Amino acid sequence: MKKLIALLTLITVFISCTKENATPETPVNENVDTTTTMVQVMGSFINGPYGTVSGSAEIRKEFDGDFILALTNMKISNGPDLHVYLSKEVQPVNFIDLGKLKSTVGNQVYAISGSPNFTEYKYALIHCQQYNHLFGSTELK
Amino acid sequence: MCRLFLIILFLPVTYHLSGQEISPPRFNKFADLSFTLSESQQSIALAYVHNWRLGKKRKIDLGLGIRNTAYFGVKKEFWTAPAELSRGSKAPFTGVFSSQKTENWDTLVVQRAFTNSTNLTANLGYHFSSKWYAGFNIDLIGFTFGQTTSGVFLSNGNTSTEPAAKPAPFNLLLTGDLDLGTLNSEFFIKYQLTPQWAIKGIYQFLFVEYKTTTVEQIAPDGTTNDRFRNKANNFGIGVAYHFKK
Repeated sequence: MKKLIALLTLITVFISCTKENATPETPVNENVDTTTTMVQVMGSFINGPYGTVSGSAEIRKEFDGDFILALTNMKISNGPDLHVYLSKEVQPVNFIDLGKLKSTVGNQVYAISGSPNFTEYKYALIHCQQYNHLFGSTELK
Repeated sequence: MCRLFLIILFLPVTYHLSGQEISPPRFNKFADLSFTLSESQQSIALAYVHNWRLGKKRKIDLGLGIRNTAYFGVKKEFWTAPAELSRGSKAPFTGVFSSQKTENWDTLVVQRAFTNSTNLTANLGYHFSSKWYAGFNIDLIGFTFGQTTSGVFLSNGNTSTEPAAKPAPFNLLLTGDLDLGTLNSEFFIKYQLTPQWAIKGIYQFLFVEYKTTTVEQIAPDGTTNDRFRNKANNFGIGVAYHFKK
């Protein structure tokens, strides 16, 4: 019976210690076609209270009217559950979640659904959602 | 003659004593430890149960207990909790059967939920044989403490951050969406390995409630809400130790 209890405890500990949701570190290189898209606003990232972020962000309008966020030359310190936000504030109080960060390194493109007002959503953020930690931000203008 | 008289005198007593030896005990007292899980969430519960064995053959168990349930969840969705919003009804019992008003549901994605609830429980069971037993238990009333954590609040197409979602501190069974707080319930089948030890398979239905402290839901009728509930359906296993009768 002691073995059974030990086994159950081991299973629980194993289940509880699920792997942290780290961001891939393999560089991505998603290039934007500059002939069919037009820059609306842009900015360069600065570090937030947690982590380090360098690189630039551009919101581009595509030929069909859709918007994308292009992140270029990104280098981000790794963390769990990193997301890309468009935010009304430099802290992510009201935001649009563009999805999980694809990689800590490289050029990456994120689709923006709908047509947000970019004078309201004027910040691009790299945010650790699970721990509510801001890694970096840029004001887009 | 005297010997015959003594035999007649003590016959009912010896019959009664032998009857006591084979009849089941009047109480079923045990402690059990349960582990349950489903996607991104787990629970561990430790309980003490005191059941009275009822019926002519004492096959039915009915009793009370006390249980501590620890719940862990990562990025779990909690929905609008108050019954008047989620079901459109505050009437006891009817809330279970009234239709869901999904148009009133907002979502709080609690990032790292951890609650620890201690509740009084009601227990019901049936002894199919000396080895097999099936039962049901449910939390009635108690309290909860746990981890304050951030959440992502989704309301009417807008997304915002709740920096400090907290477990609801008070638990009370009121049926369905009228329930308050964190309440655990289990259907289980138990197999007796030895007179003391048993193992059990569990289906768990667990309500967990968190409250927001910064953001609030504003319902279409203008009422505000800070209570959000996760309804977890988990499967698990457990062990029970039966105390001497």
